[in-house]
Amino acid sequence: MSRALRYLLLVLSLVAALAPVYWMFTISLKSEVDQFASPPAWFGFTPTLEHYYDAFVTRSFGEYLITSAVVAVGSTLCALVLGTFAAYALARFRLPYDLDRRVSLWILSTRMFPAIVTAVPLFLMMRDLRLLNTKAALIIVYTAFNLPFVVWMMRGFFDEVPRDLEEAALVDGDSRMGALFRVVLPLVAPGLAATAVFCLIVSWNEFLFALVLTQTDASMTLPVGIAGRVTQYEIKWGVMSAAGAVAIVPILVFAMAMQKYLVRGLSMGAVKG
Amino acid sequence: MSIKFKNVTKSFGDTCVVDDLSLEIDDGEFVVLLGPSGCGKTTTLRMLAGLETVTGGDIFIGDERINDVPTQHRDLAMVFQSYALYPHMTIAENIAYPLRVRKLDKDERARRVKDVAAMLEIESLLDRKPRQLSGGERQRVALARAIVREPRAYLMDEPLSNLDARLRVQMRGELKRLQHQLGTTTIYVTHDQAEAMTLASRVAVMKRGRLQQFDTALNIYNHPANRFVAEFVGSPSMNFVDGKIDGGVFICESIRIPVARENTDQITIGIRPEHIRVFNEPQNETIAATVYVTELMGNETFVFLSVGKNRLIARAPAEFRADVESPVWLGIVADKAHFFDTQTGLSI
Repeated sequence: MSRALRYLLLVLSLVAALAPVYWMFTISLKSEVDQFASPPAWFGFTPTLEHYYDAFVTRSFGEYLITSAVVAVGSTLCALVLGTFAAYALARFRLPYDLDRRVSLWILSTRMFPAIVTAVPLFLMMRDLRLLNTKAALIIVYTAFNLPFVVWMMRGFFDEVPRDLEEAALVDGDSRMGALFRVVLPLVAPGLAATAVFCLIVSWNEFLFALVLTQTDASMTLPVGIAGRVTQYEIKWGVMSAAGAVAIVPILVFAMAMQKYLVRGLSMGAVKG
Repeated sequence: MSIKFKNVTKSFGDTCVVDDLSLEIDDGEFVVLLGPSGCGKTTTLRMLAGLETVTGGDIFIGDERINDVPTQHRDLAMVFQSYALYPHMTIAENIAYPLRVRKLDKDERARRVKDVAAMLEIESLLDRKPRQLSGGERQRVALARAIVREPRAYLMDEPLSNLDARLRVQMRGELKRLQHQLGTTTIYVTHDQAEAMTLASRVAVMKRGRLQQFDTALNIYNHPANRFVAEFVGSPSMNFVDGKIDGGVFICESIRIPVARENTDQITIGIRPEHIRVFNEPQNETIAATVYVTELMGNETFVFLSVGKNRLIARAPAEFRADVESPVWLGIVADKAHFFDTQTGLSI
């Protein structure tokens, strides 16, 4: 009985989660007439690829996709590299005046105010740096926003690695860096993967700063591009859905590829040998 | 290589963990740092390894002062209590790690790993990962990783404490043999006095950061420098009785022991359990006592005794039998007794 109930809940939540995705996907394949059919056509309609053609050939969604990819991957890599080193230092070294703890909290506190507060200052800064409408602007901003997360998450993973292992590596003749790369990082690889997935998703989906900092076709990311199809005169549901459907794919593929690590990475303590 | 600690001090904040330690270890010696937990023995070892900074004093390896030499350049090998095997590497890779970071070529690495694996009989494990190994096997791998190169000294931090009793005794013997074969200076930290006695060429007994005595195992057992050393080394522990000496006789309540010493109002006598003989019948010059409890060990019997307010432990032959609360008589081997200043605990 309880088993049946469990499955029922599972099915319900699955439907709730997947129905919008399914709806978007079907809209992207429907002609405009079918899109507005009443009652809505869940299954029986003639699929068409016209919206995909419209979005990626006639319009610039291909460009947006590339911009999104460059920005997401770029900022994820930056945040991971910087954040991992910071996290390692904070996890392993005790600084005078309790500085390591204070710095950690300070890093975390940068996530405590609503992001929108920084929108105007960032816009002005980027304008003065002549970085408006560039990918670099978005990479810098996303890196900054992902860093605290990377630092705190990776610090947790580093804390899980017994110090003995690094000390053994040092006594064996390795340098600090050598020990980090040869011993510690391989052990926190699952955590690194989980963190990477998170950063990538955040950067990929980000809308607010992309909207504020970029306006040109050449610098626009997918979320902004899609939202831009809502205009004064019409809402291009087909184009938006087609672009939305494509936008889901890379994250889905990446997350699936990392799934093996995700499970291990998110369950702490998994790195102990 | 010889190793020298010269007035070495280590403090963590206001807590002094190692206090003015001076120790000279000769080349090829097997020295055991012995003491209860918190006595500073592990910190001493970690300072030598460079894993802790030195607050004061100097440490030398050979003639080189190494206080400021980073760990990786000290050319020491260490076996950790946790073994600290790299979980993501195979056993072969684990053993080869010190060679890999020294950029030895692959063939030489493989050859050395094979040699040392043969020496420790772990050849069949080389392709496995540490988590697939038993405690004893991991212990061997940790040793192999230490001896795969020729360091200036081996440091061992309670390497046997995670093994079960039988294995511990076996590995103890093998360690001793190995060190004999290699002839490399070894510093070994333990709280187990049996390990210290069996392994060491010299034992350094420590207590609360201070060196109590540094001598051969036999001398430490037979001539303890103070009450702490006397009590810590030997199992079961030495018996202590506070009393006085009057007219060549040690007196405490009903206890009378003839001693060749001057009169004093206050002295502590120390008697090892094997120097108390227990009889079921009164003999010449014996002391009446009551059996508190007996423990059969198989090859001998420990007899816990009450004499007035004093509790004593005696080693009796295996066949000795006595009921709880039954009367027995003690003969004390007086010339084997130790004397300590009751106030300072120093041997006198």
